[in-house]
Amino acid sequence: MGETKTKKTPRAAKAPASQRAEVWRVVVLNDPVNRMSYVVMVLRRVFGFAEERARKHMLEIHEQGRSVLWSGTREQAEAYVFALQQWHLTAVVQPEPAA
Amino acid sequence: MKRVEIKLNISAVAPLLDVIKQAADDLRGNLAIRATFPENDEEFNETWTSELLAGQNSDVRELLGLFGSEFFAEGSIAIDSHNSDSLLRGCSALRIQILTHWLQGIPADLLEEEDVPPEAIADEVRVPFAAYTFLDQVQKIILEHLDPTAAEA
Repeated sequence: MGETKTKKTPRAAKAPASQRAEVWRVVVLNDPVNRMSYVVMVLRRVFGFAEERARKHMLEIHEQGRSVLWSGTREQAEAYVFALQQWHLTAVVQPEPAA
Repeated sequence: MKRVEIKLNISAVAPLLDVIKQAADDLRGNLAIRATFPENDEEFNETWTSELLAGQNSDVRELLGLFGSEFFAEGSIAIDSHNSDSLLRGCSALRIQILTHWLQGIPADLLEEEDVPPEAIADEVRVPFAAYTFLDQVQKIILEHLDPTAAEA
């Protein structure tokens, strides 16, 4: 594995057009192992967040059990989730609820 | 290039390596955290898993490589900006596996404490708990001294 690069998701863009058109969320769930400073570091690396924003999400994960990190295209959401799983964070892609 | 050398007590670390190596063996064909897949596509999910597994195995190998003959001769491990990412991920994977295999009965608040008295941990899981804590301390040192994002903060 590369040292700092984020691997591309293995997914080829093949979701149906109806799915591609939706907005998708990247959600990180709490886990009992990874230390807080590790989670902050991973969020900064993967999303390019500033320290303060990464810390806010980390606390949300810790206190509420989950945090929505990003929303946008399905393909980019999958790439983020793959990168987070490489760092052993529990991350899922979810469709954004309709307004 | 930043480099950190950690001097360790060989006789204290050696028993922990048995646990760490067993956890590494357990992880060879399994992900530390079960992957969640965004697609309902078997082929895609297999690719997703195999790529995560390849990365995990590479990271764990990098970590085990720190504890080769040189460690037993010198009693120290060296970490630099080239191997720090792999080592951070390797520590995380191994800690998850140690928790899953040996430490399920330990309360979460105890697992998060830094200075747990040995008597608070049952005899049969003291060594795995020490290995779990040791890997946490290695991660902590890397994050404090070699994390490039921390330097920007």
